[in-house]
Amino acid sequence: MTSSLHVTFRVGTAEYAVPAAQVLHLESFETATHVPGAPSYVAGLVQVRGRVVPVVDLRARFGLPRIDHALAHRVVVVQLGTRVAGLLVDSAREVIQLDDASFQDAPELIKQQANGFVTATVTVRDRLFLIVDVPRVIGQEPAS
Amino acid sequence: MSDDVDLGEFVAGFIAESDELIATANAALLDLEAANLAGAPRPRAVRDLFRALHTIKGLAGMIGVEPIVELAHALEGLVRTADRAGSALARDAVDVSLRGVSAIAERVRAVAAQRAVPPVPAELLDAIAVAAGEVGRPAARAPAPGPTAVDAPGWDAGLTPGDRQQLAAGWGAGHRAWRVSFAPSEASAARGITIASVRARLGELGEVIKVLPRATPGQASSVAFDLLVASAAPAEALARAAATTVDQLVELIAPPAPPAPELDASEPAEAAPRDDGGAMLGRALVRVELARLDELQDQLSLLIVSRFRLEREIAALAERAVDVRALREIANLQGRQLRDLRRAILRARMVRVAEVLEPLALLVRSLGRSAQKEVRLVLDARDAELDKAVADRLLPALVHLVRNAVDHAIEPAEERVARGKPRAGTVTVTCADVGGNRLELIVRDDGRGIDRRAIAARSRRAVDADADLLDVLTSPGFSTRDVATRTSGRGLGMDIVRRIATGDLGGELAISTTPGAGTAFTLRVPLTIALVEVFSFVCGRQTFVVPVSSVEEIFELRAGQDVQPPAAAGASSPVRLAERRGQAIPLRSLGCVLALDGGADARKAIVVRRQGAPVGFTVDRMLGRHEVVVRPVDDPLVKLRGIAGSTDLGDGRPTLVLDLGALVAERPV
Amino acid sequence: MNRLLIVDDSKLMRDMIAACLRPLGAVAFEFAGTGLEAIERLALAAFDLMVLDLNMPDVGGVEVVEFVRAQDRLRELPILIVTTRGDDDSRAQVLGAGASGFLAKPFAPAEILGEVRRLLTPARAIGRAPA
Repeated sequence: MTSSLHVTFRVGTAEYAVPAAQVLHLESFETATHVPGAPSYVAGLVQVRGRVVPVVDLRARFGLPRIDHALAHRVVVVQLGTRVAGLLVDSAREVIQLDDASFQDAPELIKQQANGFVTATVTVRDRLFLIVDVPRVIGQEPAS
Repeated sequence: MSDDVDLGEFVAGFIAESDELIATANAALLDLEAANLAGAPRPRAVRDLFRALHTIKGLAGMIGVEPIVELAHALEGLVRTADRAGSALARDAVDVSLRGVSAIAERVRAVAAQRAVPPVPAELLDAIAVAAGEVGRPAARAPAPGPTAVDAPGWDAGLTPGDRQQLAAGWGAGHRAWRVSFAPSEASAARGITIASVRARLGELGEVIKVLPRATPGQASSVAFDLLVASAAPAEALARAAATTVDQLVELIAPPAPPAPELDASEPAEAAPRDDGGAMLGRALVRVELARLDELQDQLSLLIVSRFRLEREIAALAERAVDVRALREIANLQGRQLRDLRRAILRARMVRVAEVLEPLALLVRSLGRSAQKEVRLVLDARDAELDKAVADRLLPALVHLVRNAVDHAIEPAEERVARGKPRAGTVTVTCADVGGNRLELIVRDDGRGIDRRAIAARSRRAVDADADLLDVLTSPGFSTRDVATRTSGRGLGMDIVRRIATGDLGGELAISTTPGAGTAFTLRVPLTIALVEVFSFVCGRQTFVVPVSSVEEIFELRAGQDVQPPAAAGASSPVRLAERRGQAIPLRSLGCVLALDGGADARKAIVVRRQGAPVGFTVDRMLGRHEVVVRPVDDPLVKLRGIAGSTDLGDGRPTLVLDLGALVAERPV
Repeated sequence: MNRLLIVDDSKLMRDMIAACLRPLGAVAFEFAGTGLEAIERLALAAFDLMVLDLNMPDVGGVEVVEFVRAQDRLRELPILIVTTRGDDDSRAQVLGAGASGFLAKPFAPAEILGEVRRLLTPARAIGRAPA
């Protein structure tokens, strides 16, 4: 029974959560340097806090149409092992405590449709959060 | 006819020309000596001197007289340093230069008498090196004569500050300034009227400050020359000298400007010796080593150039179906050895950190005085060494950290005593080699420490963790004071410190602080960084760079120069062919290979070699050259063929470094 | 008959280069001592190749290359740079400007001969009006 901090963000109409332990920091986003040949869901490279980091456009990754850049857009910079990558989201602001026990396994239908990107859901006061499998999102294996 | 040419027949010509060049050098040196007494810079004399030495060096090299090459090279280095320091040679430097030129003359006479040429005395070379070290110190510069803000419409892009000075001097002396245009033609040339003769004649009537060529397509002669002349002679005389008419002359009028701010007389004039070093760190010892290191690097470059040619020869042989495998192996081995040699030379460029940090002690003293605090600096770098390029980039960051410490961290003496601390605050800079090609520098103070609560309140985020605290402190625009302090400004520098440490140098920055006791900033930087020279260019509206060493040639495609050979029907971006000097070179559109938008009108071709064969990539336009640090891009998401890394051209955004050779056979992405 | 323009501010150097290239056979030389003269000659006659020194008074070698390359009729002219500054930076500068080849002084006669042979297209002279 553990409860830990999670960083939440919005992509499209859904809200997502990732463990704060995986998050290095949040950055505002303007443009990324396009990387020819990279998968289409890679927005490109950005320079943050002195590091050059690849950014995954979660809208593209999650099958949503592209939208124009807005001030609220954020890059959630995550670190997994030695890899550091960024997740481009529509907005990100809150950090909330989530109780492991209240996680519910995501419906099979959704897991399949989401390509394994979503592992669980949790509801906090009528708000639905989808828990993200970050390693999978940033492609531990090359995308087909 | 045999291909063998013996340059021995040119020895007589060598002697004659050397005598002239030696006379020029001596005249320039005497002029510089006189200039010293008058306190005026003489950029022309420095340039003439440099060119004379440079030419002697080249000629002696061709004829094969090593001692003269050595002497000329050493003197060249001395003059180059002088040129950067303000177009003047101090008395000692003039003396040693005259000795050097005399030593050259002595050896030319030996060649003439067919005697053995004596080697160069080490003592003389040392004296020259020492003089070069002293010349480099930015001493008091001679103030520029007169106002220098001159209005020269139509010329502005082409005039250097030195030219403007001359123009202003001309007006000051009561002369008039004219633009005289001369268009050469076969008919005039047949009558002996050429740009050289026109220039000489105008030179007799006044001073020719500048000559600029101008393309005039569609006119009888495809170029014209514009000469900027300052003269007291009547317009008619000038027109006659240029074989033109008075109505073709354009006069430039002196502006009624008030005296302009002083020109920085240390600005190198055009066609001046090129700068090939980094910032001057002003240590005589380092400078002597640098001169020899420069020579080492020159020699290395010659080796690299000849290796290029070796590869071309191997390619030519391969074309004739000769089995070149063994040759290629040797060439590759040589390539590796050259890389090792280069690394060894880079190691030789290491400078002692203790020397790099010396200026900090003075800085701390003067900062303390203006902030009215008592502060002392303790430096402990032991024998730590750092690549000169890293040191150059690191010093501003250290300076800023030290300033911050004096400004914000160290308390006034009374407050310190009240807290039971020694009166004088201490800022310590230590440096240690921590292995793994890294150096760790710590800037520590025994001052107030950082008030986390205040920072948290200002930034409205939790800063309990050191990493978060550092984040906040290094955010652009963050400042712990509302009012700018006299010495530190608004604390905007911390983000730059971070950028230097982690961005430019690819290192790390960390902080630790204890309220009341002090703060320590830790920088971990690499001992050496590889600086790569690259060309930048635009393709499909995106900017890329490619290492210069991989480029064989850059040319512009003319209309119709490229053709489409047979390809599969509907093939996307098939390879084209361009005719170039009798050879057919395959051409790929980089924009197509990289699937970029735009890039349809790519007329610039960058030629690289792949397994000995040339291949051209067409791009939109070339931008320029840069010396950059390349960071690897190895996250699986972006690890791709053809992408060698990323760099920062100064705009804060990653720019991709391309490996064109790897893209030669790639299908479009 | 190939027409070569040799540009260097040292007369001795010009003569030596010409001597090195005589084995080419059917070749005529013209000389220029400054960048300005080189530009003038190129404007008035057609050449098959130019050998150019970098370090000259007034208009330096790199500027000559840039100026020449900017003119349509001279875009294809093979330009061989010879210079005592054989370092990467010079080579890069010169490549960026559009030179066709680069040779560092001092060089052996066979070297410059080889380079010029490589760069020469026997049949065509650059600078004549297209047929």
